[in-house]
Amino acid sequence: MKLLKIENNRGHFVLADGRFESLDKLTKEDLLRLVDLSLTEEVDFDDYEDSSLANQAHQIIYKSVYEKLTELASRREEFTDESEGLYVEEYDRYRAELSGDDDQAVN
Amino acid sequence: MKKIDLHIHTVATRSDSQFDFCLDKLSEYIDAANLDAIAITNHNIFDATQFGQIRDAVTIPVYAGIEINLCKCHLLLIAGTDHGDRFVEGAVQVTNAISDPTDSISVSQLEEFFGDLSEYLLIPHYAKKPAIEPDTLVELGGHVVAGEVDSQKKFIRAIRDSARLCSVLFSDIRIHADLIRWPTRQTFIDCGDPTFAAIKACLSDKNKLALSENDGNKLFPVLPDGLMISTGLNVLLGKRSSGKSYTLNEIDQCNDNVKYIKQFALVQHDESDDERDFTRDVERRRRANADEFLSGFKTVLDDVVNIDREGNHRRVEAYVETLLSSAREADRQDSFSKAGLLNETAFPISSDESLQSLIRSVRQLIENIDYRPLIEKHLERTALLSLACELIEELRTRAFQNRKSQVVNELVAEVKDALKIRSAAIQLKDVDLYAVALDARKVARLDEIVIGLKTPAVLSQESVQWFHVVTEKGLFSGAGELKDASGVQTAFREAFLMYDRPFEYLQKLKQNQQLSSADFYRLFGKITFKIVNKHGFEVSGGERSEFRLLQEIKDAQNYDMLLIDEPESFFDNVFLNENVNDLLRAIARSMPVVVVTHSSTVGATIGADYLIHASRTVEDGTVSYGLYTGHPTDKKLLSTDGSTIATHELLMDSLEAGVTAYEERRKSYEAVED
Repeated sequence: MKLLKIENNRGHFVLADGRFESLDKLTKEDLLRLVDLSLTEEVDFDDYEDSSLANQAHQIIYKSVYEKLTELASRREEFTDESEGLYVEEYDRYRAELSGDDDQAVN
Repeated sequence: MKKIDLHIHTVATRSDSQFDFCLDKLSEYIDAANLDAIAITNHNIFDATQFGQIRDAVTIPVYAGIEINLCKCHLLLIAGTDHGDRFVEGAVQVTNAISDPTDSISVSQLEEFFGDLSEYLLIPHYAKKPAIEPDTLVELGGHVVAGEVDSQKKFIRAIRDSARLCSVLFSDIRIHADLIRWPTRQTFIDCGDPTFAAIKACLSDKNKLALSENDGNKLFPVLPDGLMISTGLNVLLGKRSSGKSYTLNEIDQCNDNVKYIKQFALVQHDESDDERDFTRDVERRRRANADEFLSGFKTVLDDVVNIDREGNHRRVEAYVETLLSSAREADRQDSFSKAGLLNETAFPISSDESLQSLIRSVRQLIENIDYRPLIEKHLERTALLSLACELIEELRTRAFQNRKSQVVNELVAEVKDALKIRSAAIQLKDVDLYAVALDARKVARLDEIVIGLKTPAVLSQESVQWFHVVTEKGLFSGAGELKDASGVQTAFREAFLMYDRPFEYLQKLKQNQQLSSADFYRLFGKITFKIVNKHGFEVSGGERSEFRLLQEIKDAQNYDMLLIDEPESFFDNVFLNENVNDLLRAIARSMPVVVVTHSSTVGATIGADYLIHASRTVEDGTVSYGLYTGHPTDKKLLSTDGSTIATHELLMDSLEAGVTAYEERRKSYEAVED
């Protein structure tokens, strides 16, 4: 899934419905969603190049967000390991009954 | 057999409560207890003058001794009656070396002070506090003749266990004028004259040590007046007001560490009080189970409680805002703000936790010995070793990378600080998006765990006799229940509104200053305990009492003697016969038990080792009480003054309301028998 793209010399980010919006409209909710996608999905971005972004404001935003998201995407596996390992023993223990297996309960 | 007490205090030291020694009292004690030899053993001191006075005043051998703080335990060191100068000098050195009750000397100091230890009797506290450490015992070598215990139960246990030292039971009494009760802790030794050499020989031979003069370790004196009871199961019989409860109270007063279950103690008359107390009692006993179950959840909460979700959102927002603002003002950037480093973001510092955990797991596979063949059947050892090495190399590389990143981050931060001061442009407020995302995952995981925690389910069913203690988890139904669970007088109404949203609920709990974050884990899922009978129903009032009786009897394992007064009060015969009798018999195998009863179900079927009969006689308007004792097979029971009573008649009177009533009952049973 493409998260950031450069079109008509301007930077764009993907909205929840798949459409693209201009980067200068980015909100924190949008950013959190992009962060989540970068860490959990196969994502790609148009590479940052000064020359393809005429607007200096777009250059600044695109560069910063691009660097952050590509860095996160490169740590996707680390994040998956780490988040799946979060409280895993407790999770298994307390969720045991939900799956109909109560062997984990204390005896 | 000679009766000895080699642990007597006559000087109030800093290790004792204040008392003034009374020589007459010591003589009274020697007479009352029929002692054949004693030793004076004061804490870390030997008073030669006082010892001389005692030795001259009493008619039995008195041995000079001292109770020494040795390697954090107490040791009786006893010399002969005509102790030598070396002992006196050694005692003075002990007094000088120990200025505080918590001080103690070492084994080498002991040897240095007293010389050849084989010339003394060395008796450390053994099954008695402060007890000797195994290492100290080894260090003392063969010089220890016996170990001191503080109850008949421990004495017998040591005698039966070949791995244990010979044990002795002494009074450890402080002799003063106000002494009311004589102790019952003394030891019989099988010898002629109780000379120092004879005592020493007996103390190291289990066959020569006993609790009673004529009955070995089957009987022991339980009251200072010489009343002997069995070290096993005793049944105390007698009519109403014959002094049975009085006798039990006396036994309780004259012996230490006694579990005394008084009559009616387990039966309450107010049903609601009874139920509440019962529930609290069970909950107290099971609290440890619940804490064990919740321990993992507590770890989760301890981590999640530090997450500042609002703060994270504010930081993301600040980043976006400053990014957009600085972009809008791009044309106004000065030379300082154009410096690349100003808006440079910090390198992420990755956590090594999962990699380290992986390395630990691989190491376990490599180092496990028990399952090595199984592991190597599936995984080649060389492959595992290579894997471990590569993982460790990776860890090193990452650690090195992290270190480098940290150095760069610190440097960049310094440069940015310097540039910021000079630049007029808006500064980008950086945020660690990875950490924000991970925090969000933690919150989501908390939600999932709490759903599991709140889902009603039975956690455990523990059987206690035919009852089951059922531990369940589920939801709190209101603020009142949360208050009960917290044990804190504070309002939970507002917090409870968020109960369905664990993270928000946690924030509400955090806002309550009266709650400790260490106790939050109790306030998410409700852990309840209930006791059900064998049919799975809640127990009735009567069953509650039965349950408590059995629990109390089981609790007696932690004591040295069990006294139980009329267990038949409010309990039916079937329950007594099927449960109480078995349990009492089992406990009596390891400690003295005295049961007062009128019930034939208990008295006649329990299989007592010894009978005690309490009687009250009124002669010329004067009431006197007497106690008769004997084995159940004896035709007659004997009192301490030599009078006797027929056992059969006594059993009929005490348990069957007399021979006539027994005969009538027997006939009526026969009449209805099929």
